[in-house]
Amino acid sequence: MPEIEGSPGSSMHGVTGREQVLAFSVASPMVPTDTTAKFDLPVDSEHKAKVFKLFSLAKPHMRTFHLSWLSFFTTFVSTFAAAPLVPIIRDNINLTKSDIGNAGVASVSGSIFSRLVMGAVCDMLGPRYGCAFLIMLSAPTVFCMALVEDASGYIAVRFMIGFSLATFVSCQYWMSTMFNGKIIGLVNGTAAGWGNMGGGATQLLMPVLFEIIKKAGATPFTAWRIAFFIPGLMNVIMGILVLTLGQDLPDGNLGALQKKGDVAKDKFGKVLWYAVTNYRTWIFVLLYGYSMGVELTIDNVIAEYFYDRFDLKLHLAGIVAATFGMANIVARPFGGWTSDFMAKRFGMRGRLWNLWLLQTAGGIFCLCLGLVNSLPLAITFMILFSVGAQAACGATFGIIPFISRRSLGIISGMTGAGGNFGSGLTQLVFFANASFSTAKGLSYMGIMIICCTLPVSLVHFPQWGSMFFPPSNDNVKGSEENYYVSEWTEEEKQKGMHQGSLKFAENSRSERGGKVASVASPTDATTNNNHV
Amino acid sequence: MEFRAGCVVRYLIVSSFVASGYGVTFSSLHKTVVLSASSPKGHGSLSLSLSLSLSLSLSLSLSLSLSLSLTHTHTHLLGVSACSPNLAVLTAGEDELTITWAFNETFPAGIDSSYKTIKVKLCYAPVSQKNRPWRKTVDELNKDKTCQHKIVERPYTPSNNSFTWRIERDVPSASFFVRAYALDSQQVQVAYGQNTDATKVTDLFHVEAITGRHVSIDVASICFSAFSIVSLVGFFYMEKRKAKVVQDK
Repeated sequence: MPEIEGSPGSSMHGVTGREQVLAFSVASPMVPTDTTAKFDLPVDSEHKAKVFKLFSLAKPHMRTFHLSWLSFFTTFVSTFAAAPLVPIIRDNINLTKSDIGNAGVASVSGSIFSRLVMGAVCDMLGPRYGCAFLIMLSAPTVFCMALVEDASGYIAVRFMIGFSLATFVSCQYWMSTMFNGKIIGLVNGTAAGWGNMGGGATQLLMPVLFEIIKKAGATPFTAWRIAFFIPGLMNVIMGILVLTLGQDLPDGNLGALQKKGDVAKDKFGKVLWYAVTNYRTWIFVLLYGYSMGVELTIDNVIAEYFYDRFDLKLHLAGIVAATFGMANIVARPFGGWTSDFMAKRFGMRGRLWNLWLLQTAGGIFCLCLGLVNSLPLAITFMILFSVGAQAACGATFGIIPFISRRSLGIISGMTGAGGNFGSGLTQLVFFANASFSTAKGLSYMGIMIICCTLPVSLVHFPQWGSMFFPPSNDNVKGSEENYYVSEWTEEEKQKGMHQGSLKFAENSRSERGGKVASVASPTDATTNNNHV
Repeated sequence: MEFRAGCVVRYLIVSSFVASGYGVTFSSLHKTVVLSASSPKGHGSLSLSLSLSLSLSLSLSLSLSLSLSLTHTHTHLLGVSACSPNLAVLTAGEDELTITWAFNETFPAGIDSSYKTIKVKLCYAPVSQKNRPWRKTVDELNKDKTCQHKIVERPYTPSNNSFTWRIERDVPSASFFVRAYALDSQQVQVAYGQNTDATKVTDLFHVEAITGRHVSIDVASICFSAFSIVSLVGFFYMEKRKAKVVQDK
């Protein structure tokens, strides 16, 4: 079977429409349990967990989950640690608005490349070392923040810290080695959402640390420097925990992974080609730039905005800003849930409409956020905006697994990079300029979100339709098989390499919506007849 | 020596204009307070101290007379230097600023009857506000961000007011001037005075902030970074060795 077992997005969860939405476990008949294995959780034949027990630390599966999302969380804390302290830093090292904006761009740009490289690193060294290497090598960059004296140093350090956001890839990769493909969707979504929360937690943590250190006697310009030691130490501690407590596979470490050797049977060039030539990939790269991208942008600018516009004290501005990032704990899974919910009735068309609605709502609330002058209204709109944007992130990854079966990994990676790119671009255009205020920048960003979400109406699946057009009536062109198998050449089909895609196509028929999933009608009819 | 007295001492001219209610604007205030600010370092340029050394007519070397003029004659110096566009550089946490203020006698007496408090603040000059919207000057005083550092707040007296302020360590590197607001019993601004002109380009002070860095922080930073890298490499090496030993067995 050339199918990459357990790779991110290979989840069949939700695909038949009969599975329990947001399933926490995989029922045994679907995936046989390996009863010989001695693990705390029921596992499949590859010893991947079939059950997602959130509050357990059972070795190795749940322990890996917690190590993984905590590492990702830590890198988010480090990357956005400067943001809530900017009002102090800008006075200490004499920054201008352009400097602050450029630093924000730099903080998200580094990971565009590091995320692309991380996949290869995980393949070579395993996700455990990939993760540990990244967070322990980025710890010195966090400590360096205590040494900066001017704008160029500040921008350079934020750029280097930003590389650590590639732990997203190691996190998702590691989950897929530990959890069965049928629950990997929920597992990955939870890990990603909880990791993203770090961007919110840091807005709370850093001002509090700053106040404590100031109370202990340090001047403001020294206190913020000392405060950076905490994220740095978090990096080191998480790295050590990952190395000592983590393992690459359920059965052991790197050696076993290398014996498997055949993780990627497919040719990279081909996989890349089918990703790049599918127009839907590019639409989603753009879209994710305006859901995840704006989330990263807000993580960078919102604390300073509340401090300056509403004259809040630093730690209060931090608390308000934190509620934005912390909403991820429920907002992102919510987006995935609404996507599955809409798909039950309306299939893929429902998913597309769901995504458009959530992301556009986010854009409208962002527009309002920049326009209002009162603090309670601003906070309200910010929270609504956060739910919209983060749910859109979750909804995006409810659709991505269906764009391509063969190139799923690369498409996911490109989409993720698109998020960072969108963030960098938005910060450059709207927040690094002295020519308009942050409030105006937020409003313009809201308008840009609304405009850049419109292309989702262009996403058309011949077998399922699009937002405005029904599926193709043609029996051949309108079949799932035709869509997914078209990614393989005749030669490859003869070798049987397309079997995985065929199976996926069959299971994806639930994306047609209600007609397939509902089985109620025949029973009702017989009941009525009996009455008569 | 002729001192341009007008440049040195600006008398506080207190206006009878009382701004009532919310949202008092700066443009509605009258400049009835005369304020001057000076520092032992002076605002001088080289040419200034040269002229003074000449006037002192000592047979000392040039450098010595320069230092003498700078330390002893600040009260005289001010007469000339205040109008110079050159700035003296003051170090935060070390140098001091002496501010004097009084009611401008040219205004009719009784105007200052509503003044209860004087609040003296350090304000950003336009050159330090460029490209920094968090220091923007806005007419409505509740929203104005020009003056962010409080120097002193005192009950109002029409004359004999002086205060020496050591520049605090949280003052950023920027160009400043000093402004005093006269407040009434409701803490609403009713008048002001400043040591610079309306365009805010003369008599400015430049403050050099502290870096906030300390040797101990630098050392700790390097130590923790080294620990991180060494422990990572050490772990990697140890595991590779263990794997090799197992393999050899």
